[in-house]
Amino acid sequence: MLNDLKVGFLSAKSSIKRGNKKTSFFIIFVLALIFMNLIFLPSLINGMMGLFVGFVQDYTYGNIVVEPVEEKIYIENVDNVLKKIRSVTEVTGVAKRIEAGASLRYKQNVVGANIIGLIPKEEVGVSQYPNIVKYGEFLGELSRDEILLGSMIAGVGTGSEIYDNLGEVKVGSLINVTYSNGVERTYKVKGIHEGTFELTDLNAIVHFKELESVLGIEGEQKATSVVVRIANEGEEAYVKDKIIDVGVKEDVFTWQEKAETLVKQALQSIGSIDTMSKIVSLIVGASLIFIIIYINTLNRKKEIGILRAVGVSPNSIRISYIFISLFYVSLGIFLGLIMFFGLVFYFTSNPIVFYETLKIVPKVDFILLIKSILIMVGMSVVAGFIPAWFVTRQDMLEAIWGR
Amino acid sequence: MIQVKNLKRYYKTGDVIIKALNGVSFNVEKGEFIAIMGASGSGKTTLLRILGLIDHQTKGDYLIKELNLKILPEEQRRYYRLTQLGYVFQDYALINEMTALENVSILSLMADGSKKESIETAHEALKKVGLDGMVNRIPDKLSGGEKQRVAIARAIAKKPNILFADEPCANLDSKTSEQVLNVFKDLNEKYNQTIIMVTHEKWHTKFVSRIITLKDGLIISDKKIK
Ligand SMILES: Nc1ncnc2c1ncn2[C@@H]1O[C@H](COP(=O)(O)OP(=O)(O)O)[C@@H](O)[C@H]1O
Ligand SMILES: [Mg+2]
Repeated sequence: MLNDLKVGFLSAKSSIKRGNKKTSFFIIFVLALIFMNLIFLPSLINGMMGLFVGFVQDYTYGNIVVEPVEEKIYIENVDNVLKKIRSVTEVTGVAKRIEAGASLRYKQNVVGANIIGLIPKEEVGVSQYPNIVKYGEFLGELSRDEILLGSMIAGVGTGSEIYDNLGEVKVGSLINVTYSNGVERTYKVKGIHEGTFELTDLNAIVHFKELESVLGIEGEQKATSVVVRIANEGEEAYVKDKIIDVGVKEDVFTWQEKAETLVKQALQSIGSIDTMSKIVSLIVGASLIFIIIYINTLNRKKEIGILRAVGVSPNSIRISYIFISLFYVSLGIFLGLIMFFGLVFYFTSNPIVFYETLKIVPKVDFILLIKSILIMVGMSVVAGFIPAWFVTRQDMLEAIWGR
Repeated sequence: MIQVKNLKRYYKTGDVIIKALNGVSFNVEKGEFIAIMGASGSGKTTLLRILGLIDHQTKGDYLIKELNLKILPEEQRRYYRLTQLGYVFQDYALINEMTALENVSILSLMADGSKKESIETAHEALKKVGLDGMVNRIPDKLSGGEKQRVAIARAIAKKPNILFADEPCANLDSKTSEQVLNVFKDLNEKYNQTIIMVTHEKWHTKFVSRIITLKDGLIISDKKIK
């Protein structure tokens, strides 16, 4: 077997060395493109996922979110819940929130929006809201008659014209808000925020206590959600269990659970296109190698017959073709990696922009990279082996006679 | 050393059966240099292929050193060819992508697995056939006589028990033929190499020690010359 390997290697080496260089380069180039196709689109999808995950974590759910049990509107005894959650070592930040629907009016413009009541200092380290204020300032602890507007409803963000907006609201403008329970308030605009996701820019933010008073639940220790941040990404499920263990009786979800259906829907169609194109390109790659090796075996049928006649083992001939396939595919992968990282570099400095604000930057998934390399290698070994198998199974004498 | 007993080889093409060998018997001693002669189609190649374990007889027995080769399974036949026999084909049958050295060394590598040794053996064999200066040339860059000598070097590199050659001079002019035949003669005289060579040129017989003549698959004469 070792001798088979050595002879196979020698035979492959001479065949590659003295074979047609242009053909070899062409094969390698096509394999490189195929390899790229396996990894580039996924890296873009990965980048999109990253954006999406960022949005879900940074604004809506954190790593883990606690919500009222079914059929209840509020989490009761929320400060007690916060205390329990903070007792879990992996938890790095907790914030309670109340949300309410309202319509906002500025001059003659009216816009419906979701208003989030939060405690400004709790949000630091839990969400990105404190960090995305573009004009003016974030709310302070004493903000009561102040409001923070997303740039889309304020009408100042790029692309905000596609939404209903208040039309050029500025910091310091006074706007009227009518809550869904009929309560009316007038707020001074304290700041306007703009994140990477338009959805965040469609929200308005007031102080938690302000919303409590609007809803008439002052001091009742109620909230509509509690957002939790943890130290290590990926430990969500584990920390969730710990939170339940310390006695939180509300519904606890990881962000993955909350986002699952959403992500699935968003990525399903693009994912299936990706799978299709991968399968097609793998078939193309396998056929390419198969045909190249097949033609080679046909051309060398007589030589192979002679090699066998003088005592070279069929295995070493098969192995030589596997070496040849491996040579093509490894150079193809190498070239493909160069091209891939070239593209990643390019699109990192020149991101693809969606809806004017969504910048999609490719994100390399090394597990996928290794998987793709293995798939390519496996495919080429099989595609190269089959014709080699056929040619060595043929009758030796017939091969020498050239039939 | 060799015993051939009533060897038959029939080819079946459609409904026609060609009796290429129709009962051939002879013995060979170590160190003999035998020419197999006969008209085209008389069965010379067929006989040599069976003796070289490249083809199977239809009937009859073929023994080397008392071993009846009929019983060997294919993998062992291959190993036997590799280690005990040398075969020179009519049309050189070299591997085009390999240099002279690689063409020769590949068989020693197959047999012994040592790259260094296989290269040494190949150099030695190429030197015996007078090609030490051209070891790195590929067949395309060699003349017909040089190619045939590479083929001979490949066949003798592992010092086979028996060397077979099927019309080794068929594609060569008479001067080159003489060089090649002298290579055989040297091998035979210096190393007591047993050689069985197919030829149909009368003048080739002056190099050999015995002539077996075939006609229509049968031996019509078998004579030794001293
Ligand atoms: N593969 C084959 N199939 C059918 N008939 C063959 C085959 N090879 C040889 N023959 C026939 O067998 C006879 C002997 O052929 P061969 O041994 O090649 O003769 P020689 O080498 O003496 O010219 C010829 O009649 C030839 O046509
Ligand atoms: Mg012949």
